[in-house]
Amino acid sequence: MGTYLLRRILLMVPTLIGITFLVFMLVALAPGGIGAGLSQSAGAMQSQTAVAQTKARLEDRYGLDDAPPVQYARWLGRISPIKFGARDLAGPGGVLIRSPKPIKDPPMWQWFTDSPLGSLATPLVAAERYESMVGANLSEDDRQERFREAERRYADARAAYIGEVATFKETLGEYARGVGMPNAVDKNGQAKPRLLSKHTPDKSSAAFVKLAAQWPRVQAAYQAAQVTRTDMLAAFKSDPYPKAGLPVIPGVMSLTKPDFGVTFTGSQPVIELIAKRLPVTLLINLVAFPIIYLIAIPGGMIAATKRGSILDVGLGALFIAMWSFPVVLAGVLAIGFLASKEYLGAFPVSGLHDNAADSMHFLPQRTDGVLERGWVLDTVWHICLPVLCLVYGGFAILSKQCRAAMLDNFSADYVRTAKAKGVATRDVVFRHVFRNSLLPLITMFVTIFPAMLAGSVVIEKIFTVPGMGSLMLEAIANRDRELLLANTLMIAAVNLLALLLADIMYALADPRVTYD
Amino acid sequence: MQNRFGIKDFVLIMLVVIVGLSVWLTMFQRGREWTKLQGMEQKIDGQERALGRLERAGDNKAAMDEIRGLRAQVEQLAAGRDETLRAIAAMSAKLDGVSGNKRAVDGTGITDADIQKRLDELVKQGNPGKSASSGSSGTASATGTGPRDESWARPGLKIDWQEPWSFVTDPRSVKGYRDGGGASEFTETFEAQPAKIVPFLGLDVYGRRVIDLVMQSLGSYDPKTLKMRGQLADAWQADPAGLWLRVHIRSDARFSDGVKLTAEDVRWTFHDFVMNEQVETERDRSTLRDSIKSVTVIDERTVEFAFFEPLFLNESNALTLFILPKHFYSKFTPAEINKSTGLLMGSGPYKLERLSLDTEWSPPSPVVLVRNEYYWGPRSVVDRLRFKAIDNELARLTDYTNGGSDMITPSAPQFVSKIEDPDWNKENQNLNWVNMKSGRSGIIWNCGARGGPTGKPTPFADKRVRQAMTMLMDREKMVRDIWKGVGVVAKGFNNPGTPGCDPDAKPWPYDTTRAKALLKEAGWEDRNGDRVLENKDGQDFVFEVTTFGTGEVSEKTGAFIKDACAAVGIRVTIRNMDWSVGDPVRKQRDFDALLMGWGANAPESDPKQIFHSDSIKNQGDNFAQWNSPASDALIEQARRELNPDKRAQLWRDWEAVMHDEQPYTWVRVQPWVRFIDGDVGNVVAYPKGLEVWEFFRGGAASATPGN
Repeated sequence: MGTYLLRRILLMVPTLIGITFLVFMLVALAPGGIGAGLSQSAGAMQSQTAVAQTKARLEDRYGLDDAPPVQYARWLGRISPIKFGARDLAGPGGVLIRSPKPIKDPPMWQWFTDSPLGSLATPLVAAERYESMVGANLSEDDRQERFREAERRYADARAAYIGEVATFKETLGEYARGVGMPNAVDKNGQAKPRLLSKHTPDKSSAAFVKLAAQWPRVQAAYQAAQVTRTDMLAAFKSDPYPKAGLPVIPGVMSLTKPDFGVTFTGSQPVIELIAKRLPVTLLINLVAFPIIYLIAIPGGMIAATKRGSILDVGLGALFIAMWSFPVVLAGVLAIGFLASKEYLGAFPVSGLHDNAADSMHFLPQRTDGVLERGWVLDTVWHICLPVLCLVYGGFAILSKQCRAAMLDNFSADYVRTAKAKGVATRDVVFRHVFRNSLLPLITMFVTIFPAMLAGSVVIEKIFTVPGMGSLMLEAIANRDRELLLANTLMIAAVNLLALLLADIMYALADPRVTYD
Repeated sequence: MQNRFGIKDFVLIMLVVIVGLSVWLTMFQRGREWTKLQGMEQKIDGQERALGRLERAGDNKAAMDEIRGLRAQVEQLAAGRDETLRAIAAMSAKLDGVSGNKRAVDGTGITDADIQKRLDELVKQGNPGKSASSGSSGTASATGTGPRDESWARPGLKIDWQEPWSFVTDPRSVKGYRDGGGASEFTETFEAQPAKIVPFLGLDVYGRRVIDLVMQSLGSYDPKTLKMRGQLADAWQADPAGLWLRVHIRSDARFSDGVKLTAEDVRWTFHDFVMNEQVETERDRSTLRDSIKSVTVIDERTVEFAFFEPLFLNESNALTLFILPKHFYSKFTPAEINKSTGLLMGSGPYKLERLSLDTEWSPPSPVVLVRNEYYWGPRSVVDRLRFKAIDNELARLTDYTNGGSDMITPSAPQFVSKIEDPDWNKENQNLNWVNMKSGRSGIIWNCGARGGPTGKPTPFADKRVRQAMTMLMDREKMVRDIWKGVGVVAKGFNNPGTPGCDPDAKPWPYDTTRAKALLKEAGWEDRNGDRVLENKDGQDFVFEVTTFGTGEVSEKTGAFIKDACAAVGIRVTIRNMDWSVGDPVRKQRDFDALLMGWGANAPESDPKQIFHSDSIKNQGDNFAQWNSPASDALIEQARRELNPDKRAQLWRDWEAVMHDEQPYTWVRVQPWVRFIDGDVGNVVAYPKGLEVWEFFRGGAASATPGN
């Protein structure tokens, strides 16, 4: 059993990688691609250059200027608990600080100069600056102060450079159209440097003159960005903050917590969002499950023992009717009739807690003769309607399955033998038939659980329950790489664990099944 | 050993689950207490600091005694907190005992409200004349009497002195006014949860509504007249050439923790917050980058803005910049600010109670604002404002009718069906008005060639066809059929009621005969009797309408256009696509007609980006490819005109040009609709929107729908 479990758990790793890769590539290849939500929030009433520059800066920040597989590989590297190379720093407030990303060379610099850095001798400058940062025995406060300064200057210089490049690329696009290379212009009107690099520039064209006029600014911005990056690197290496993770082989390999990154809209740490939302979804589902089983199985048993009776037909019809009733409509009806004070008004309309929940006692208690429901009961009361909507459609499959399995066993030889030797009917039903009919019901768990997780997305939306559903929708709407991948990973992991649990329960329930 | 799952195993597993669950719940409850304690600690801190300041400032002996008494009370409160901590430590083992802790806190017998009330009294004694908490509406202002100090200004130039910012309609002057008595609360339900409520970072409309109540700027639009007025500024002086603006800050302006607001806060906000590349304020940064060159501190209460170019938007860009407290926000690193959701502190009439990174507000809990007792202006009446979110439309209305909220934005069908009910109207205030933030929707005609300069011109390249198309659409019927009559027919780019909109202008009439005549004039008529119009080359009049997003409205609008065109022999196909993939379509002009909507946030905006012919080139935002020299000239002239009245006239002239050329068929201005509980008083529908800080509870007031 132990080896089996270990093998199953190890097999989950490639499965999860496969799932996340597929989902990521699907979104990346969909029109708009990763980060499509970002351009929408850039605002409409700005000059075109400002919009292009802002877009370029956002792409630079989130690494969207790389090909999707590269982005995915980088994400895998970040969530891997094993890290190679230099360790990140753990900044204040638990924010990870990475060593600064390299700066890409300006496009088409070969047309204007021998080296994009020009007269600037970086290695020398870097060494000097490094000395001044680390050489002197600075206190931790000083190092942090210097680091913050370097960080700010680097951020400004890098943003300025990215902005210049965006404008330069626009002019390059103009040039490409001018010299009859419309293929070298992408959908956004910017040039594709890869295609242009094979082309000998037409120095007489008007757009080239414009390019040449812009070049000194681009180069100056590039130099400034490189210089500040060197500073930043030096300040980073002076360890202003403690290092993150545990070293295994110092300088080569270390162990860290997986880093799921931050969302594109609002820079929220993804792991914190999921930690807040996943328990809500699981709570609703885990409450719903026993209810489904506790109603569906006795229903199936009654139907099987009283086969052909009105009860059997009635229950079957009722469960099937409920199964075919759309959950969206059921949710709306539940709000309209059960929650509205014009009708029953017995349940809350939305959310997980009452306004006053923060100041409530924890458990229900009586103060001055008034019963206060307390925080726990308040939560239970609030999830009543969502759970109701989640369970009603689940009875049919399980009860039908239970009924069929029991009928199957009723006609088996061993049941006839048991009846013939005079075993009480009750014992026959419960000790023999029911036990043996349980096995398929456990397998059913495997198919129902993922379906219910998916179904709760709709229910969460209707009842404004802050669960994984709304988070997933947000991730898809914004094409938010970090949120999407982490959500997929979490949901896939929960599902795989549910599958594993079903297999283990199967072995426990059926002595014939062993995994050794 | 028998491998069987028996009753005994079941009981055992259940026991383990129960033990685990109780441990988890206990830890959870501890977490709840911890958050509460931190909140208390922060409150005590704030009050201690306030007391310290009062002590330093106070020269009144009686007041000093009072302060000492208060200090003792604060210490007692702190002792109560220690007691709670001890009690928790003792009881945490027992799950049942946990719920008893609350009483230990209350046991000190002092409530926060007590302390707050005493502090208010002290503040009043301390600053006679400056009523932080008095009931009168007028604030005593430095500008009131005597010769004004003009040493801050550049000599020889006109100074624009401002009336003090105050209520537009003083709640205390309204019939039926009642003071909530420290417990009045107002709840608004949003359609979606704000993602964050940090100034400059919270970009969604709901976040903005919360931020607007807490943050203030040097100037703001008057809710009634929509003219720029001083809010934190009591005067300013503008360069006649439009290259600088010198602003003088009120002497009594202060943040919600009582710290004075100075010129350095203004400079810091611009240079070290908005323009700091490490802070994710891209939206505002990219707008302001081309407008404001620098902000310089002249003296403690004077700043000077320098601009790149003399454009009319500079003034509003500078004056409507929210001013952040430097002493508060500079405590955090840029990374911490970027990831925060609830760091919101300003100088407005309301404030957030918890303001540290550990206990800040975060979605999905409701946002609760409390009255800022240090507010420099007249005191609001409602003590607490609560903002929650319900996604589902029906759930929102049900929650409202259940009494769970005091204000919602109903959908058009909900609005129409409810206001027919006389009982409903007795208990609720129904608002439906157009204001400066109203959105507009319309159809963009591709006036150039489809797919850019190399493509084939669309039929709409001819002005007469565009005019005919507008006259073919019965826009009043569209508003009636598609939006249940909620809305007014739009007549141009500027919202009705804003300076750029000529109140006498009329939208094109619905007139199919004239439309047919115009089409014929333009060469479109049925030449072969197949009931479809053809041009002289025999090509059928066929075009495609592109709509974005799914939803009833875009579907119905598409169908309406199709029907209206079919009636005169024009064939229409409809293409629907997701908003996120629409960008290349718009940039490459790959459409005949587009359905679009625009939002607005200010009375005036610069139309150059979407209407000037410069923005046709290089895939700019002039999607319609509308090339009109008359319009270009007026836009250029108006954006450099610094006199608001002259500029308004130029905008109206420009609107007239657009009306004639019809690059867009404007369909509808979307009004704001609200249901507000009848118990909420002083609800006035202003051209700027709603002024929630003027509301009070307990007045059976009648709504005053504007317009």
